[in-house]
Amino acid sequence: MTDSVTTRPRHAARTGPAPRRPGTPAERSWWNRHQRTLAPYVFISPFYLLYGLFLLVPVFVGLYLSCTQWAGLGAPRWVGLRNYRDLLTDHSFWTSVQNTTLYVVFTLCVVVPAALLIAQALNARGLRGRDLFRLTYFMPVVISPIVITLVFGLIFDRQFGLFNATLHALFGFGGVDWLGEPAWARVSVVILVLWRWTGYLTIFFLAGLQNVPRELYEAAALDGAGPVRRFWDVTLPALRPVTAFVAVTVLVNTAQIFDEPFLLTQGGPGESTLSVTMFIFRAGFQRQQLGYAAAAGVLLFVAVFVLGQLAMRVLGVGRSSR
Amino acid sequence: MTSVTATSRAPHGARRPARRKPAGRALLYAFLIALLLVFALPLLWALSASFKSRGDIFSYPPQPLPVPATLENYRGLLGGHPFWGWLLISTVVALMSTAASVALCSLAGFAFAKYRFRGQNVLFTIMFSSMAVPFAVIVVPLFVMVAKAHLTTPYFALVVPWVAPAFGIFMMRQFVEQSVPDALLDAARVDGCTEFGLFRRVVLPLLRPALGALAVWSFLTSYNSLIWPLIVVSDPGQYTLPLGLQALFGATGRQYDLVLAGSVLAVIPSLLVFFLLRRQLLEGLTAGAVKS
Repeated sequence: MTDSVTTRPRHAARTGPAPRRPGTPAERSWWNRHQRTLAPYVFISPFYLLYGLFLLVPVFVGLYLSCTQWAGLGAPRWVGLRNYRDLLTDHSFWTSVQNTTLYVVFTLCVVVPAALLIAQALNARGLRGRDLFRLTYFMPVVISPIVITLVFGLIFDRQFGLFNATLHALFGFGGVDWLGEPAWARVSVVILVLWRWTGYLTIFFLAGLQNVPRELYEAAALDGAGPVRRFWDVTLPALRPVTAFVAVTVLVNTAQIFDEPFLLTQGGPGESTLSVTMFIFRAGFQRQQLGYAAAAGVLLFVAVFVLGQLAMRVLGVGRSSR
Repeated sequence: MTSVTATSRAPHGARRPARRKPAGRALLYAFLIALLLVFALPLLWALSASFKSRGDIFSYPPQPLPVPATLENYRGLLGGHPFWGWLLISTVVALMSTAASVALCSLAGFAFAKYRFRGQNVLFTIMFSSMAVPFAVIVVPLFVMVAKAHLTTPYFALVVPWVAPAFGIFMMRQFVEQSVPDALLDAARVDGCTEFGLFRRVVLPLLRPALGALAVWSFLTSYNSLIWPLIVVSDPGQYTLPLGLQALFGATGRQYDLVLAGSVLAVIPSLLVFFLLRRQLLEGLTAGAVKS
């Protein structure tokens, strides 16, 4: 009995007129009248507050610091553009730029096509276990980079590692110093990047492929186009927006690569795997050259910005795709 | 003539659509399963190695299974190191970031999707382009600011600067546009719903799958983050999980045995979150990319 009594009014309140209906002039306060114009500003304000405090202010402070010499204590000493001049002649900095370029080129030329290939395979009609494959390939990005690099450190181990053991068993040679030899260390970092990011990029291509209408393929097949031809003439043009998105994301992210070389090789041996972000980290937080680190940060920003814009032009992001 | 009799004698081949070539299929599955192993093996390897004794981890040739299996590594880690403390801080920080960014991003995404206001395009461009600012540019000044303000505690430094990622706002905007009909909002307004009430009673319930995607993305980003915590958190009593493992690994001669056990335990929450919300995450991540 009591149940029906209590539920009734609640039900009535939900469907019927709301108890405080805006209509009586006394209740239409200033906020009530203007809320529709002001609400969006209120809704976005937290973002811009945080944006100002934690992005805009740091960018300008960074620009200022990049023209100073400062170890974190006392007042920064103004040195003008000297940090930039020093950077351009700093051998370590150029090494880090070269390594980062290698990582970016590798990701664009190997990881992205590999992801596309895997997506193409996963998109096969009537494939069983697609979800299992897709999820397992994606898993590496879910896992803490420190765990991943730790495991890969074990696998790459010169004496006891799985990699050398497998090579030895298969081809009778082994003993590659994966992490200790400069050239191999770069290969190791690149393998790790491949392992960690391919599955992540695959899901973007797969989503793009699933949006390509089947009729397009059927029409092309009727015209006598083979699978390779269909891939070039149907799949690739249809995937242009996704490819552009993936390429720009990869470019911007890989230019800032830190986790893989830092954890796997600490930038070594020597500086053979050092990335630009690692260079900044080392200068700022291990050598207390905060101004110098800020200047390198500004250069990285300019490079990423220019390259990103260039890539967007070339790939036509924002242009209509058809 | 001969070819016709040949096909009619093989009823299996005739009944199947011409497209499906068994050899091609087998090759496809072989390729996909090989990849499955490539992606799963390192983790299974870690799982297996975490049950090996310190000496067995570095035996040659490497053994796939831990024989004899031991819990020594787990005992050593949990007994000798504040593992649960690290896990607690990491989890609390990640949950705080997740709650805040889900709220802030969906609110802002709703505003950009369903209102027309002055300066909207400029504000949107500013928001969107902030994604291209490299972390390395702001890291030094941000650290200086946080340190000068004595706010290096994980609950502030690892949370507040990162709770409104532009990526999340963009993602939420796409979803609100797709899944919230204007008519529904107008109907609620007629019923006297306030603008915030619209968000809470109409938009949020419709956005539930997208919120899941954003939540798991925020959680994982926070839970796994390394470089910023490494810079800003200096007190070992406030280490997050990655910092704790990094310290264990870096400082005293690579304690592989302990770190392996820690890694296995550390991965459990992220895999759990991932598998619970996998569908939302994958669909949410790709929603923006495919459309634009």
